[in-house]
Amino acid sequence: MLNATILLQILWTSLATSSYYVLFAVAFALVLKVTRIFNFAQAAIMTVAFYSAFVTVQWLEWPAWAAFVVMMAITLAASFALERIGFEALRKRGVSVMFVFVFTFMVSEFVAYLAMLAFGTWPQTIFPTIFWPVTLVGNIAVSAWDLPAIGATLVMLALLFGFMRFTRIGQFMVGVADNPDLAELYGVNKRQIFLVTVLMAGALVAVGMFLYGTRAQVLPQTGLSLMLFAIAATIIGGIGNLAGAAIAAVILGVIQNSSILVIPSEWQGLLLYVFLFLAIVFFPNGLRMPRRRRRFATATRDIGDGQDAPAAEGQA
Amino acid sequence: MEYVDGIIIIVGLYVILATSFNLIIGYGGLVSIAHPVFFALGAYASAILSRQFGLPVPLAMVAGMIVALVASVALVLPTLRVSGDYLLIASIGFQLGVLEIIKNVRFTGGAGGYTNIPPFLIRDFGREAYVALVLVVMVAVILLVRLVARSDYGRAMSAMRDDELAFASVGRNAMWMKLAIFGLGSGLAGLAGALYAHYFRFITPEQFEILQSSAILTMVVVGGMRTTWGPIVGALLLEALPQAITFLNLPPSVLGPIQGLLFTGLVLVFMFFRPQGLVPAENVWRGTGETR
Amino acid sequence: MAAVLDVRGLNKSFDGIVVARDIELSLQSGQVIGLIGPNGAGKTSLFNLISGVVKPDSGTVALDGARIDGLKFHERVSAGLSRTWQHNRLFPSLTVLDNLLIGSTDYPGEWLINVLFARGRLRSHDALAREKALSILDKIGLSAAAGALVSDLPYGQQKLVGVARALMRCGKCLLLDEPMAGVEGQSYAAMQRVVREVAAQGVAVCIVEHNVAFIQDLCDEGVFMFSGAILARGPVAELIRNPQLTELYFGH
Repeated sequence: MLNATILLQILWTSLATSSYYVLFAVAFALVLKVTRIFNFAQAAIMTVAFYSAFVTVQWLEWPAWAAFVVMMAITLAASFALERIGFEALRKRGVSVMFVFVFTFMVSEFVAYLAMLAFGTWPQTIFPTIFWPVTLVGNIAVSAWDLPAIGATLVMLALLFGFMRFTRIGQFMVGVADNPDLAELYGVNKRQIFLVTVLMAGALVAVGMFLYGTRAQVLPQTGLSLMLFAIAATIIGGIGNLAGAAIAAVILGVIQNSSILVIPSEWQGLLLYVFLFLAIVFFPNGLRMPRRRRRFATATRDIGDGQDAPAAEGQA
Repeated sequence: MEYVDGIIIIVGLYVILATSFNLIIGYGGLVSIAHPVFFALGAYASAILSRQFGLPVPLAMVAGMIVALVASVALVLPTLRVSGDYLLIASIGFQLGVLEIIKNVRFTGGAGGYTNIPPFLIRDFGREAYVALVLVVMVAVILLVRLVARSDYGRAMSAMRDDELAFASVGRNAMWMKLAIFGLGSGLAGLAGALYAHYFRFITPEQFEILQSSAILTMVVVGGMRTTWGPIVGALLLEALPQAITFLNLPPSVLGPIQGLLFTGLVLVFMFFRPQGLVPAENVWRGTGETR
Repeated sequence: MAAVLDVRGLNKSFDGIVVARDIELSLQSGQVIGLIGPNGAGKTSLFNLISGVVKPDSGTVALDGARIDGLKFHERVSAGLSRTWQHNRLFPSLTVLDNLLIGSTDYPGEWLINVLFARGRLRSHDALAREKALSILDKIGLSAAAGALVSDLPYGQQKLVGVARALMRCGKCLLLDEPMAGVEGQSYAAMQRVVREVAAQGVAVCIVEHNVAFIQDLCDEGVFMFSGAILARGPVAELIRNPQLTELYFGH
């Protein structure tokens, strides 16, 4: 029975639940933009984030705010390790795309198996319950989780935006994203920038997982499925386009939730893979958005041997 | 003896999987994790065609191989037109997505699995005949991949991996080659799947999950990419390890993760300390021994 | 006489920067044209546009009268348009000889079917290709290096191998991108010999070069590019005497 109330309800709920998707997508997109790495190890960071919060709340029985702090600290530490021990070593060796992929993929799998060993394979949540008090606004059920979730997401995005626009390091990040070698010539410390990028992504992921883990059940392998969402959103939003990734995440979230109206529930899981496939085949460069003037572009940008030609040029 | 036969067959099938994956990722340079899914497609196609539609098993097995091949082309064709990085992501989606479909569709038996798969050879000739069949196919696959790698095709693959733009500049078509390599490799995985299905006669989606992707990837990376013996050594090692652990009598909930930790841990260790794998490949392509 | 290479109205902008502005260029069979200009003039970009590595915003390219702008890069090469690279993209995993063999006009080994079922075809093709490759190597004085890895060769010889690889194809048009950069001595003379011979066989050659002496020696005509546009075309001696062009060249 399709009526305005149901539609609005779905719209509201999917908007609220797309909050964590946005954070995961922006984190992935950010690392990709600045370091040019498809960070599949983000799933590992997500797993670490969730289980550190889980342990703090359910095993140590500390209050929620303490759990959040602990989770953030551990997640940032893990991100630090990933960048300094992992990515930096790979960069020093000048390894191929395949190598980086196998590495990040294996790291995520490794952490997933550790989690399986330590926590078992049944679903867990951060708080013992994922039921939140509901108030009716008009005829729409608004969960007490919804507004804080949306709020937290907006705060994180605002912080990220502010950081990238108004701080020196943030601007350097954009520069390194555009042209790392040129940025280096201008005296930007690439190492530091990469670290800051991965740490910021870690922070976004931590908040995202806190939101997710207080609303849905998590398995050791949940990280990977959530990652696919982030990847699809990043591709559709346009690689290098953080706002695009965020918007795409919201849209995909809404579509996935609304799909319950048209397809049986067991097929909902499949939708994500369909998105991914469609994204790659039809929107590899993302939906067209006006691109801002890049700050570090040189006046005489020779395309050289065709190596710098972006995918948009392709081959005639 | 049935236990030992089962192990030999599993190891033989994994050698086929590792060798065919080596063709794709090692020689072809195509980064994809979607190998178990073709193993699954071959198994399910062969099983369903023979049980549901009464196709004779050998024909069903060939059909299974073809289904896997066609599916692989369906995956690679649209994504390679875009770029190689996207193939990787698409392969993850494909691997997870197709399994999702298998789990939810009735005619594959859903998550519960597909049972009563028609047997082959065993009733007439005994289990040893099937073991022999698998080993013969295994040797054939090894020789086939070796032949391809050392031929002019191998030279072309080596050049393509080195520099695709230069490859195009000498007028060679990388797209077709990638399709062929991916198709052949995946088809062979499908054949392995069919062989699996008609021996064990019961398949479930769980057997083809991402754990298998890690395992096969580990076999190739740890064993040594772009060599004939590398995948063989890798497959033997990675099948021997779980067998060794089972003697520790651990509960299954612990056994699974420990196996996983071993696989992934091994790859990570090797990647940092011996990235060339146990059997290192030469950096140079050498042909079939003609005078140079 | 119909032009071998006919480029009309080629335009390309990239991030707001014009790399090709209404380019019109035609090459006759056997002609050797030098493409000169300061860095950033768009010379390599032009090669990229003509060969199909980069898609133009507008314009047409025709080879021997037939339009090739719908073709992919490798298809244009098959049609007879070869090119070399500024940074010399040889295959490091192959020997010098193999680098040439992979560049032959036909390559039955590209098809899996042939490898599996038509070994005879592979063998007979291989014999012919080897003959051609070795004769080319002989001409440039690198016969001894046939079995060597490219990384073992000095840079000048590597560049020669790059050109040799492009010569494996019986082409109609050859685009050489800075073949002399980093090359001196014997390789220099060999490169000149090779270009002259190729032109004598009827191939239309276009060379991007900074080495003015080389251009003067070899080229019938020069084309001066600046900021994505062709400013002048004429005998090389005249172009380098032109004070305005000289200022543009060295002023940047």
